[in-house]
Amino acid sequence: MTQAATIAVEVAAIEQVTPLIKHFTLAPLAGGTLPAFSGGSHIVVVMKRADRVHRNPYSLMSRPGRLDSYEISVRRMETSRGGSHFMHDEVKVGSRLEIAHPVNLFALDKIARKHVLIAGGIGITPFMAQLQDLHAANVPYEMHYSVRAPEHAAFLDRLGEEEGERLHMYYDSRGEVIDCEGLLTSQPLGTHVYVCGPAGMIEHVVATARAAGWADSHIHWEQFSAPPVGDAFEVFLARSKLKVHVLPDQSLLESIEAAGVDVPYLCRGGVCGFCFTKVVELDGELIHNDHFLSADEKNSGKYLMPCVSRARCRNLVLDL
Amino acid sequence: MLVTGIKSKPIYAPLLADAAGRYHLMLGHGVGGAPLERVLEELAASTPQALARTRVLYVADAGSVDGYGARFSARVRDVRQFGGVPELLADFRALLTTSLMGTRLYVAGPESFIGVAMRIALEFNLNKDEIRAEECGSLARRVYCIHCRATTENVRTNIAQCVACRRHLIVRDHYSRRFAAYMGVMADAEVPGELPPIKEVFA
Repeated sequence: MTQAATIAVEVAAIEQVTPLIKHFTLAPLAGGTLPAFSGGSHIVVVMKRADRVHRNPYSLMSRPGRLDSYEISVRRMETSRGGSHFMHDEVKVGSRLEIAHPVNLFALDKIARKHVLIAGGIGITPFMAQLQDLHAANVPYEMHYSVRAPEHAAFLDRLGEEEGERLHMYYDSRGEVIDCEGLLTSQPLGTHVYVCGPAGMIEHVVATARAAGWADSHIHWEQFSAPPVGDAFEVFLARSKLKVHVLPDQSLLESIEAAGVDVPYLCRGGVCGFCFTKVVELDGELIHNDHFLSADEKNSGKYLMPCVSRARCRNLVLDL
Repeated sequence: MLVTGIKSKPIYAPLLADAAGRYHLMLGHGVGGAPLERVLEELAASTPQALARTRVLYVADAGSVDGYGARFSARVRDVRQFGGVPELLADFRALLTTSLMGTRLYVAGPESFIGVAMRIALEFNLNKDEIRAEECGSLARRVYCIHCRATTENVRTNIAQCVACRRHLIVRDHYSRRFAAYMGVMADAEVPGELPPIKEVFA
């Protein structure tokens, strides 16, 4: 599969919303409108640097239906592989970028009777668009938003104004934590919970919901794991007959793309399963970092998700 | 003549306890009492504390007296017996309005009973992974007339006459969860009066 064409955009505005978060408005370079999307969608921003290309997923935050521009927010990561620092340091108003079409892997359930939204830090971004969808729907919801300290609470003015009592704020600096157990043991039938934030928060919410008897179809989470760094390794692509060297801070998918081989992807964060790849030969071990494959599939050593997973091996041959 | 191989035809499985649930709500009709008894036994063995969060709603077959009620009561405090399916369903609906997330629904009985119970569960956004159903007893179908939109109960034959418009309908395997009924399509639309042999197929 070849990738759908990207869309050329220009940075129309940049706002520093917290000490760590910058907000970008992206307008189509050709004018006109951008593709429609629903709340929870993300785009992949293609960042072309001198020595390598980054493709990072970011949730769309603007109101679905407003298509003259898209809005995304980028948190500056302490240990960035380059993408968030590029967005923070090198992208200016007027910079040109390419983006992939929006994809929604974190959609609101359309027949839910109630929604409970839980965000940690930058995890607020997909909810900013979902909340706009919820304003138009006649379904009760609650927004629980946890941040380190008041100065890190991005978009609080807007949220406070639009959400009123439906917004519940929690500040780590004041020792406030979301009472997940209380929250998830008291919800009416037909409630759906959505969580986006740090890995630990997602694990805690999912585990608490399951312990409270929630069925998986009512639990939704989104986490774009940045591809973890690791040791360099080599991989041979059987169908392309190419040997590819993977650098410590480069993902397997990025290395394969840099070698000129297209792998289908949507999320680049180990969630969607699109880059599912078969292992032909392996002498060593795979380091699975995705949330897509089952434990059995991971243990089989027959598959991996190159967007986030790596290998520690003498020999790895992939069906690409 | 009976149109088969249609994917919407529901498939049922033997009822098993779902220990991942926190509350267990069980509905039974007639011989559907047997699978419920089995699930209660299973819960008693695996997670006895779950029995305190279990409710059973049961209606015996019309005119029959069976011992299920007493046997349920031996394990569960909240057992409710009803004189008819409509009364049971009204109570079921009222219970769902106050039920919490973590509830698992178990339904056992004839397919028509499962269908109407599921339709109510659907209104409360209960999903497949929260509902288990075992079909037992009569295979008689609820048939929805696609011409006049009336529903005919207790259909046992391949061709049934609509209770409202009197058309003869072919009973298809095409099932609607929303109507909790199989679709009935006029059998002699091409040549009025020309009908295939009428046989009992849903005993």
